[in-house]
Amino acid sequence: MAIIERPSSEVAVVGGASVGVKPSEALGVFKRPAASTSWRDWLVTVDHKKLGIMYGVAAFFFFIVGGVEALLIRLQLIAPNGKVLNADQYNQMFTMHATTMVFLFVMPMAAAFANYFVPLQIGARDVAFPRINAFGFWCFLFGGIFLNSAWFLGGAADGGWFMYAPNSSTLFSPSHGIDFWTMGLQITGIASLTGAINLIVTILNMRAPGMKLMRMPIFTWMVLVVQFLLLFAIPVITVALFLLTFQRSFDATFFDVASGADPLLWQHLFWIFGHPEVYILILPSFGIVSEILPVFSKKPLFGYPIVAMSGAAIGFVGWGVWAHHMFASGLGPVSVTVFSMATMAIAVPTGVKIVNWVMTMWGGKLSFTVPMLFSIALVVQFTIGGLSGVTHAVAPSDTQQTDTYYIVAHFHYVLFGGAIFGLFAGFYYWWPKMFRKQLSEGIGRWNFWLMVVGMNLTFGPMHILGLQGQPRRMQVWTEARAGEGFFNLGFWNRVSSIGSLLLAVGVLLFIINVVYTHKSKKVAIAPLDPWDARTLEWMTDSPPKEHNFDTIPTINNLDEFFHRKYAQDANTHELTQVATAEEVLAEMNAHPDEHIHMPSRSYWPILLALALPIIGYGLIYNRVILAVGAAMVVLTMFGWSMEPSTSPDDDFDPPAPGDGGGHTKELAPLG
Amino acid sequence: MKSSRRWSTAIKSTLAVSALTFLAGCAKDAPQDTWQPAGPNAEKIDNLQRPVFYVAGIVGVIVFAAVAWVIFRYRDRGQALPEQTHGKPALEITLTVIPVLILIGVGVPTVGTIFDLAKTSDTEMTINVTGQQWWWEYDYPAVGDNADVYGISEPIVTSGQLVIPEDTKVLLRVTSRDVIHSYWIPKLNGKKDGVPGRVHLLRLEGSEPGIYAGQCTEFCGLSHAYMRMETVVLSKTDYAAWVANQLEPYASPSADNALAVEGEKLFLQQCARCHQVNGLLNPDGTPNIAAPDQYVVSGAAPNLTNLMTRNTFAGASWDLLTPECRDDVWNASSAEFGAKYLAGVSEDCLNQKDLREWLRNAPEKKPMYADPTKLTETGGKYRGMPALGLTEDQINAIVAYLLERK
Repeated sequence: MAIIERPSSEVAVVGGASVGVKPSEALGVFKRPAASTSWRDWLVTVDHKKLGIMYGVAAFFFFIVGGVEALLIRLQLIAPNGKVLNADQYNQMFTMHATTMVFLFVMPMAAAFANYFVPLQIGARDVAFPRINAFGFWCFLFGGIFLNSAWFLGGAADGGWFMYAPNSSTLFSPSHGIDFWTMGLQITGIASLTGAINLIVTILNMRAPGMKLMRMPIFTWMVLVVQFLLLFAIPVITVALFLLTFQRSFDATFFDVASGADPLLWQHLFWIFGHPEVYILILPSFGIVSEILPVFSKKPLFGYPIVAMSGAAIGFVGWGVWAHHMFASGLGPVSVTVFSMATMAIAVPTGVKIVNWVMTMWGGKLSFTVPMLFSIALVVQFTIGGLSGVTHAVAPSDTQQTDTYYIVAHFHYVLFGGAIFGLFAGFYYWWPKMFRKQLSEGIGRWNFWLMVVGMNLTFGPMHILGLQGQPRRMQVWTEARAGEGFFNLGFWNRVSSIGSLLLAVGVLLFIINVVYTHKSKKVAIAPLDPWDARTLEWMTDSPPKEHNFDTIPTINNLDEFFHRKYAQDANTHELTQVATAEEVLAEMNAHPDEHIHMPSRSYWPILLALALPIIGYGLIYNRVILAVGAAMVVLTMFGWSMEPSTSPDDDFDPPAPGDGGGHTKELAPLG
Repeated sequence: MKSSRRWSTAIKSTLAVSALTFLAGCAKDAPQDTWQPAGPNAEKIDNLQRPVFYVAGIVGVIVFAAVAWVIFRYRDRGQALPEQTHGKPALEITLTVIPVLILIGVGVPTVGTIFDLAKTSDTEMTINVTGQQWWWEYDYPAVGDNADVYGISEPIVTSGQLVIPEDTKVLLRVTSRDVIHSYWIPKLNGKKDGVPGRVHLLRLEGSEPGIYAGQCTEFCGLSHAYMRMETVVLSKTDYAAWVANQLEPYASPSADNALAVEGEKLFLQQCARCHQVNGLLNPDGTPNIAAPDQYVVSGAAPNLTNLMTRNTFAGASWDLLTPECRDDVWNASSAEFGAKYLAGVSEDCLNQKDLREWLRNAPEKKPMYADPTKLTETGGKYRGMPALGLTEDQINAIVAYLLERK
């Protein structure tokens, strides 16, 4: 592990032999970056908190990109025969909107929260593999930039985010857009995969003493489930993307019908990844609101073990429902029945969560702060999305609804009303922890209400549009198919487009809130524990020091922090506050750990990640560039492997010869 | 206080949106409304989905009511800190079992309907339906009941409008020549993908004469939005008349229609390479056989033998009838509909504007990768109809010729 704590007289032993570690000077190229406060530090940092913030900033940037794409789509559809975008541009727009929102916003934003808060919530000082963590971030960022660079290089991907074969072959999509798409997703996939392994190892191995699995904060639980989903789902899409790359770049025939291929192969591969992906997107937000609802209800999460286990159950059953995306693709009645039933089954653990959230609030003492408002809105909106989900689990009914706006309504209620509202709840809840200042509740309320109204005006009418037979992915809709009654397509398309503008203003207010909070002198530093929170991440400074905790706490309870602040009378069950957050922290830090040893900064993660888009451009334009990128990968991996995870001048105690050691807490610096 | 009022407003508007959703079935005049079945297959789906929507609605209302109650009842009024209860197993088990029971109630009829809609043993008529970028071809094979009962003694090939007899269990054999498409006439049945290399079966039956609209619902590239289709249901006698008309032998324009005679020559030069007109002869007297596979990526182009018996062209994206004449046919009572439909497109009713624009420059009207630089991947083949560079005189002649194709 990367984090080494040892008394100064003891010895590090690697593989049984004592080692005098020589740092990266061995390679003679780069001097290891030292501690710094300048912007350069952000390029070489391996600190999970800084990486979390970088994930967040980059993901939010892509959120705006994807949002602008969405607005252009709604502008095109505000009236029949829209002229804002031509067919080619429109197809690129909806392809990249979905790709951006899924892969470049919701996933990395969840990774941002996971990176920042999982180590804090489990009482660890960093993740298990800090340099790989940095590498993951740079892969995501460079992959996202590579993917979007297609806009300036002849057009972005135009096959839809599902990229069905054979429409994705060069015969039907001759621009390079899909090549950028496959390689870009391949690169961001590396980020997800390394992140998954990293967080699984971190959560399973680095919890503070006493923190059993069933004492873990529920957000960490959900993150754990998500990482296992990623671990198994990303390889499937990786395979599919490689097949497509080989088909497009090297004339392979995996999806070529004339050569005997079955185009449904792609659909199965895509949705075996794609359906668990849905849970990858939503479960982190479930975790966030499961943290927030108890805090602002002043009650523990109702049925904590059931919420945790239903998350795991969703994680398992989520693998058995992929073909419900294919009810119209000719699977045959037996397959359709199986996947229809499995899809209904997954509604049960999902419903359990909603019940538990309502029961958490039941009997509580609710304060409607902005994070609480976003969380309650998630419960309501996700319920709508979940129920419309049940209506198309009914396969015959789905053959009417699939590929119509009804489905667009459904998954936006789940992913915008659910996942993204959860992320916004997280922004408001954890902002004072990350940045010492609390976002304005006043602007926050405007932000919230505009987003609620905007979201429901945008996506609510889409239920109607879909049931009235308006298909998705249509560059134009026509008056001839619009109808005249109350539910005519013209009116509801207009409502939806206007709603999307309100939604955009709502998001804009969030940005204004951030700027206001940090520029205005009127906003004071937030107290240590502004929400009277329950979990470990609040039991340290805001923002936390680089090593997170001066003392690693010993955990005796679920909601450890709350139990240190409050005592419950055994007979009357009455709660009394016995300590403030400041007192808890002072008591804990009375005897800080010594010789805390943090992983050192490194150039290698960013350099290795930089090599990958070079390979991508090489694949598209010139095989020489490809070779340069590949050589860069080999060299940077070599440099990385020669570099110890900790630099010798960074509180490192040199080994004493002849001492067998064995007293160190952790032996091998792997990261 | 304030926030609870805000909340009740929010809940109310949420409820309103969901109520509207459930009422969406009551709309008038939406040709692709999924809640207005006009045949037994769509009715089966409707009978299944209505109760599911009601149950979902009721569950939704219960959840919203619970949330609203909690917000109202348990907001912070300065009450003491609540007891730190961690859950009530009996309650949780109950609240898990109830949804399980509801879902079993939904699941059982679902399975029955899935198998009902997959049945093929009761088929009375088979039609091959083939999708390609960006239109549907209908091929009525002259086999079995098609020949014996419905008089289809030779194969009929059409596009744009699928014509079927009333109260007849039709089985569509859906496939594709290029990318995946999806055949969907909401009022007659759910959708089924046409996948190249595979044949998927879709039941279709109409209980009432009329025109039923649909759209391709699997994203199929540039002009996906312009890949529409219609299914026409005719009474059995009208259907026999329609078949007989389709099978009538070809007749060249008579000499007194000089413009149409000129049009036939131009058609042979400009159009007949891709578009088949059955019975059309080359100048040397040999039958003209179109070879669209040499010019078009999908390898097919609509058969125009009886173009003016259908009401639409170019993937059913534009009407061959003027708006008035179109309304006259679409809104006809089921008794009058057959005669009006069988009358086809007369010169007075012809939608000259759209048809002429199409002949002038098709890719401008319907996006088809007209840019010649984008044809490198296809070896120069077109993805649809190219701009032919016809003069206005030539267009007049071709329109005159086409008007006789019925």
